[in-house]
Amino acid sequence: MRTLLISFLLTRMIPAALAQEPANRFDTPEGAQQGAALFQTHCAICHGARGQGGRGADLTTGQYKFGGTDPGLFATIRNGVRGTEMPPVRATDEEVWKLVAFVKKLGTLAPGQQASGDAAAGRLVFEGKGGCTACHTIGRDGGTLGPDLSDVGRRRDLDYLRESLLSPEADVPARYRAIQVVTKTGQPVTGIRLNEDDVSVQVRDERGNLRSFLKRNITEIRRDKPALMPAFGEKLSKTEIDDLVSYLTSLRGGQ
Amino acid sequence: MKIRALVLGAVTAASLSGQGLPVTYERLAAAEKEPGNWLMYSHTYNGWRYSPLDQINLQNVKNLHVKWLFQGRHQEKFETTPLVVDGIMYLTRPENDVFALDAETGRVMWAYSHKNPERTYNCCGRVNRGLAILGDRLFMGTLDMHLIAIDAKSGREVWKTEMYDYAAAGGYAATGAPLVVKDKVIIGMAGGEHPVSGFLDAYDAATGKRVWRFHTIPQPGEPNFGTWAGDSWKTGGASTWNTGSYDPQSNTLFWGTSNPWPGYSGDVRAGDNLYSCSVLALDPDTGKLKWHYQFTPHDTRDWDATQIPILIDAPFRGRQRTLMAWAARNGFFYLLDRANGEFLLAKNFVRQTWAKGFDDKGRPEVIPGNDPTPEGNTGIFPGVDGAANWMAHSYSPLTKLMYVFAREERRVFTKNEIRHAAEENNAAPTGLEVVGEAPGASGGRGGRGGGGTNGIFGAGGNLPTAPGGRGRARFAPEESWGKVVAIEPLTGGIKWEYKVLSPPWGGVMSTAGGLVFGGTTEGMIFALDARTGDRLWYFSGNDRVYAAPVSFLAGGKQYVSLAVGDVLATFGN
Repeated sequence: MRTLLISFLLTRMIPAALAQEPANRFDTPEGAQQGAALFQTHCAICHGARGQGGRGADLTTGQYKFGGTDPGLFATIRNGVRGTEMPPVRATDEEVWKLVAFVKKLGTLAPGQQASGDAAAGRLVFEGKGGCTACHTIGRDGGTLGPDLSDVGRRRDLDYLRESLLSPEADVPARYRAIQVVTKTGQPVTGIRLNEDDVSVQVRDERGNLRSFLKRNITEIRRDKPALMPAFGEKLSKTEIDDLVSYLTSLRGGQ
Repeated sequence: MKIRALVLGAVTAASLSGQGLPVTYERLAAAEKEPGNWLMYSHTYNGWRYSPLDQINLQNVKNLHVKWLFQGRHQEKFETTPLVVDGIMYLTRPENDVFALDAETGRVMWAYSHKNPERTYNCCGRVNRGLAILGDRLFMGTLDMHLIAIDAKSGREVWKTEMYDYAAAGGYAATGAPLVVKDKVIIGMAGGEHPVSGFLDAYDAATGKRVWRFHTIPQPGEPNFGTWAGDSWKTGGASTWNTGSYDPQSNTLFWGTSNPWPGYSGDVRAGDNLYSCSVLALDPDTGKLKWHYQFTPHDTRDWDATQIPILIDAPFRGRQRTLMAWAARNGFFYLLDRANGEFLLAKNFVRQTWAKGFDDKGRPEVIPGNDPTPEGNTGIFPGVDGAANWMAHSYSPLTKLMYVFAREERRVFTKNEIRHAAEENNAAPTGLEVVGEAPGASGGRGGRGGGGTNGIFGAGGNLPTAPGGRGRARFAPEESWGKVVAIEPLTGGIKWEYKVLSPPWGGVMSTAGGLVFGGTTEGMIFALDARTGDRLWYFSGNDRVYAAPVSFLAGGKQYVSLAVGDVLATFGN
């Protein structure tokens, strides 16, 4: 009876939103692991196998447009987002809570996954020998032929970053796919494909210029080399790669 | 003053092109004699989506240009086929809004809105594909499983009938356009992604009372009940989410059915799973089954047979026959005798890996290894969304060709007891994301087309699905494409193909002007030469096309309308 009374008083005293916020009882390693499997079924198609985004939002940033609390994430997954293509997920409430547990873990480094290199040295490689700023922006500085890396450390894990340096073609985001357009006058133009339909193709050329070509004026579009970025395995030493990975993983936005 | 001008406009338009309302059943049965009107989903009962108008033709199509736009201002996919009755267009917007427009200018005359619950149960968006008309009444199915009759002159609701509990068994919805046959409104249901039990309904157009219900899964004691293991028949799916065709001569209704449930795992439902993935021939007066043909027995790949049946009459193997041409989601074109369902021939019109042939009865000889696997099977063709889907095909009596806007697509098939999350896998067509937005942010348009870093190219549409994937596009965009295929129905031979960048979601219409109209995933609206497939005209609509064109007369002139993005674009000369 007393317990009841105390609970009653507590409930009345604590602001309603807090009191009603249910703890996620599936926020456990097992729950998140099951959530990971459910994620592949329900979410990966739009949000990417690793939550990195795609057709749907990037879920690795720790920032959620429609609420990042457990109940907020639950509501988004359970009900979908009206006016967008995010549908209600076909799963039981229990499964949705497991998804919540997993989604919250996306983008955080797995325990023990520490970069071994020297981030400060990596920055020098990035800005100097690597020539990375020609194509990549950090903060306000850099080129636009490659993805903005301002918060790449929050979005990509170490293996991914290393692979991107050694084999850039392993995963080229669609908006950075390289193509070469050969015009009827014989002029080849290399760049990234910004858009395309059956009558035209839009390109950012290697100098950053916006170009558009009508396909009737093109003799060929080459797509055999999907990344503009060179593989750095031969250009940089192993130590330099390690340092670069360290630097990239330190980039968390806000620089 | 304004109102009067509108009313006068309506009267003028009506007097120029026809007899206005009411639209009797006799007019529907002879819809080909009203070339200026578009009285039902496929224009005529035979499913041809063929316009007998020829003002816009091979010679002058190059001059075609936009005459007016209807701005839908909605987020959901615009899948509607408008109706046009003597200068007035009736149009559904997604989420069950209806508009009456002046077909010459696009000016709205009335609007009706059905309020759906906040949450409805739709695999692939809160969409609607159109209306049916009889007398003075329009008929629309809703996302919460109602059938509504609306007065075509006033936009007022006449009756509203609940077809079924929309929230039952994971969710039902009515997204397809109804079909009026005589005094009845025939309408199906969607929900094959859930453990639903499919049916097709007929309602009295006058009262809204249900006249019959045909269960697409045989009930205990009915023929073919034994084609489902255990209790799987109770939750076997087999929905009826698109529109059918009708043969007034034999008084037969033809309607396609969807996949069995669970869609991507057949373990719990051994057997053929009738009447999933089938075409049904029904008596429209009673709902009694005359015959059926199953395109994909025991399907595990979501290869619905919800395409629109195309009915043609021609001599075949020495005698005149009533035929049905069908380009199925499983990649094969079929020719059946529609008098009895006899299988006549089948021939693939896209890459396919699952059948090596057919026996005399039309049963496919299945090649092993073409089922989804837990880790993802990437070797199955056609893809998850099929070679054809719900997008309308067309048949032209001038060329005697059937036109199919087909998907050539490589995809991942993942075995899944619950639901495959990949019904709508293609990426958005246009680079709409906001430049300069923080890289971690979602795309600029929130969803309907623009969002996300992969969301630029239609052809980039193979997002990763398999567990353990590295989050990359598994396949090069070049492995998937779309094509308009011109099929000779009596042989299944392909006369020509017109290839486009991405697998399409739009349908096609052929015309007496010798043209085939359609629109691509990137929003390129095109007119092809119906004889050769040469593109004669295009317009850059720059957003996804999820609908099929219609053509009509307004003010004595021919127009072509097609939904692109959230706009209904209307073209004329």
